[in-house]
Amino acid sequence: MAFHPRETRGASPTRRQFLQLGALAAVAGTGVLAGCGRERPRPTPTGEQIVLSRPDRPTRLPLHSDVPAIASGLTPEKGGTLKVFNYAEYLSPDVIKAFGDKNGVKVEITTFTTQDEAIAKLRTSGTDFDLYFPTPDILAKIVAGKLLQPLNHSYLPNLTNAWPQLQDPFYDQGSQYTAPYTAYTTGIGYRADRVKSVPTNGYDLLYDGAYKGKVYILDDYREALTMAMLRAGQTDVNTEDPAVIKAAGESLVSLVNAVNVKVGITAYQLVPEGQADVHHCWSGDIINAQYYLPEGTGPEVLGFWYPANRKGAVGTDTMAIPRSAQKPVLAHMFINHVLDNDVALENFSFTGYQPALSIVTPEKVVADEYVAENITSAIVTPEHYTDGLQELQLSPAGEALWTDEWAKFKAGQ
Amino acid sequence: MRESRSGRRLWPALAAPGTLWLLALFAVPFYAIAAVAFGYPDPVFGSPVPEWDPRYWDFTLFTEVIQRSLTGDLRPVFVRTLLFVGLALLLCFLIGYPVAYYLARYAGRRRGLLLALILAPWWINYITRMLAWLSLLQDDGYVNDVLMALRIVPDPVRWLSGNPYTVVLALVYGYVPFFIVPLYATLDRIDSQLLDASRDLGVGGYRTFLHVTLPLSRSGLMTAAVVTALPMFGDYFTNTLVSGSPTTTMIGNQIEFYLLGGSRKEIGASLVLLLSAMLMALMAYYLISSQRANREAS
Amino acid sequence: MTRRPVVLAALTWLYVVWSLVPVLIAIQFSFNDGRSRSTWQGFSFRWYWGDSGSVASDPSLRLALSNTLQLALLTTLVATPLGVALALGLTRWRGRTSRAANGLMLLPLATPEIVMGSALYLVFTNLYTLIPLGRTAQLLGHVTFSVSYVVIIVRSRLHSIGAEYEAAARDLGATPLQALRTVLLPLLTPAVLAGALIVFASSMDDFVISAFLSTDASSVTVPIKLYSAVRTAPSPALNALATLLLLGSALALVLAWAVLRRRRGVVRGTDRAGGSALREMASIDV
Repeated sequence: MAFHPRETRGASPTRRQFLQLGALAAVAGTGVLAGCGRERPRPTPTGEQIVLSRPDRPTRLPLHSDVPAIASGLTPEKGGTLKVFNYAEYLSPDVIKAFGDKNGVKVEITTFTTQDEAIAKLRTSGTDFDLYFPTPDILAKIVAGKLLQPLNHSYLPNLTNAWPQLQDPFYDQGSQYTAPYTAYTTGIGYRADRVKSVPTNGYDLLYDGAYKGKVYILDDYREALTMAMLRAGQTDVNTEDPAVIKAAGESLVSLVNAVNVKVGITAYQLVPEGQADVHHCWSGDIINAQYYLPEGTGPEVLGFWYPANRKGAVGTDTMAIPRSAQKPVLAHMFINHVLDNDVALENFSFTGYQPALSIVTPEKVVADEYVAENITSAIVTPEHYTDGLQELQLSPAGEALWTDEWAKFKAGQ
Repeated sequence: MRESRSGRRLWPALAAPGTLWLLALFAVPFYAIAAVAFGYPDPVFGSPVPEWDPRYWDFTLFTEVIQRSLTGDLRPVFVRTLLFVGLALLLCFLIGYPVAYYLARYAGRRRGLLLALILAPWWINYITRMLAWLSLLQDDGYVNDVLMALRIVPDPVRWLSGNPYTVVLALVYGYVPFFIVPLYATLDRIDSQLLDASRDLGVGGYRTFLHVTLPLSRSGLMTAAVVTALPMFGDYFTNTLVSGSPTTTMIGNQIEFYLLGGSRKEIGASLVLLLSAMLMALMAYYLISSQRANREAS
Repeated sequence: MTRRPVVLAALTWLYVVWSLVPVLIAIQFSFNDGRSRSTWQGFSFRWYWGDSGSVASDPSLRLALSNTLQLALLTTLVATPLGVALALGLTRWRGRTSRAANGLMLLPLATPEIVMGSALYLVFTNLYTLIPLGRTAQLLGHVTFSVSYVVIIVRSRLHSIGAEYEAAARDLGATPLQALRTVLLPLLTPAVLAGALIVFASSMDDFVISAFLSTDASSVTVPIKLYSAVRTAPSPALNALATLLLLGSALALVLAWAVLRRRRGVVRGTDRAGGSALREMASIDV
């Protein structure tokens, strides 16, 4: 017998029952659509409206009675694991180890790539991270959602090391929930030995066909669209104007044909290794790139452009303690540890991202050889922070516009 | 064979745990996707809240996604995915059929060894295999070294820069082992007496293949195509690994973007539903045509 | 007269080379002295131990390795019995419900992982909230897509065995359950083992479902680590991690082979268990 007995037996029943399933689904579908249009009475959102904070409209985040700060003067928790939730490679292993050894606790890092992913994990029951690194633009959301606990400043004497304007920032007046971590700008990293001349509008480098095939933009919807807006002279980077957003999206799409653009976040490796001639990147990337230079190549091949009038994208990262933290005292002490001047500088030498502390001045980082002379444009000063433009929280409708425009770019044509 | 009453109850009892498991962890999750796709956004976080009662399902977002897929920005992604998968499937057939055929009919003493070698990729992590190619396809990697040494190309080819051929070839590399195995199983079962008979009747080798072997292996081919192509439709990590460019985005990438990275998860859920519906349609086609093939063959 | 099909043979061996040589090269670069994954810079073990970026010095990489192996083992222990029972039940059970169950069993094979992963993620976060994401959820997800593999492998073996042995046992007075246990199951051993091996391999390889259902470092598996590292900080340490994983699975294979070799066919007609398991793995028959 040539055929396996199964072959004839198998197909017929499955086909019949598949069609049956399909018929059932169709019936269910029409039944559903017939009932569509009925609106379930939605629960009205209780209490607070989410205020979109801006540098000229500082907000004091609400405190909730059911999410209290820990008491002062408690003894630190002993033993176990301190769970830190952060971006990848964003804390020096030596800094972590030093804290762990000093306090007799194991420190474990879990990484996320986007804040949305992080929020989703924080909202999952069962996760109990002790330390989290949010960005200012999502703070209002997660505080309203009761995901963070307020800080007790009695454990944070080193907070005074930070930039004065970040000790009482507009996005969290009184530093009730957050402590500042790093400050960074977004500019254009490039190979100084391959880029002949840098135009006044440095963003044009990304659009220059001379570098076709070696151009990258950041894989971040806010950063990429902001870059296109800034290039066109638009300075409201939190706009919800559909026309402006659409124009930015189209500008990005033009990059595909002009320079065969790619998206990525590893400028610190691609630029020194020569795979990227021009890379839209963060200031920390180009500083980090110094350590990824191949043998025999010096830091003089690196370059970083940022607008001369300092009207470019700037941002900060913060540290906060989730509500479900099991070791809040140790978490406070970790924050304090990171805010210490020496520890922060050590952290800086690993991450390349500048701590937002007063001690970190351009003169010091060049003198102490953290940063080479030719990339001092990547150093962030309080003036950068004051003059720069920050990408902050949008309304849900605005978010949808930006997200969809970016998805359109990523979809290709 | 007479079946006692306890015999009749034994078999369903054995099948029950597995069936219940699949119901709870396969069928119900699909309902969860629908509930999320047709739900409403959370007022604080903007994330989707599932609506479990079908009477209150909200289809506006889903209709928007369908419209974007048919005429809007998602259309190129669907078209491109179909193209990539179709091309990859064709290449899998061209590469996989000869290998499966050789293995089934001629391998002889070496069969065990060859089978082990061909099954080996199942044991090697998919990402490891892609990693291997990433090393080879770098600008200064071995592939370019060989191509330049043989003077086939003057400059290094940029394989990893949004090159659609790289993506298709990577898909083929990744999935062809899954294609070969069911095909081999079917070819192995074809009675060689049939082929000998055909040859004895004076039919040449090539025509024997075309008119006897190929039709007999049809069900195996369909199975191989289903087991390879359907998962390929949802692939996103291959594209992410070997290409960073928006010009090669597949539908899986958009789903990943919306569901994991973006802030519009309900669009991700809708896309998943749409993709599943598309694949169910293809699966139905497979079942119907395999049923027809079996009827013709017998 | 048998013609030697030179072209076909050449094609097949060429395919094998194309299929496996890149992996060997990836292993080679795990021993690279420099940071590059594409230019050979000398031999060194630095990515395995010694260097600050090596596998030994990064506890998260070791944790990922152990997570992967544990998850694969547990998945195999749960999915194999479940799948064997389901295969037996579906083959002998008659009726419409049986055919519906059969269809349900086939669907995971044709479902893209991203569909299953997102479905499971959504259901665990919105419906089955008692089950936390992380290892438990990952185990449940892995078993779900693995069961079907076991079923189709065991089922095709069941068909080729036929019903004679069981009928003989029943005629000698055994109950169906006894016949099952003493006659059928031993005959099915190669298929069961093959199914178990496939489940183990698939679970270790799985990336999408593990990624969707992971929470923190305790549920990160090697594929997740590899994927995220390739996108952010690729170095030969990745190749080293992948090589170690390969070693782990090769070890598991060798162990299984050693166990198989000891079992000579008990009932007449059983092939030598080892080679037969290999053939079972290849006999996917939907």
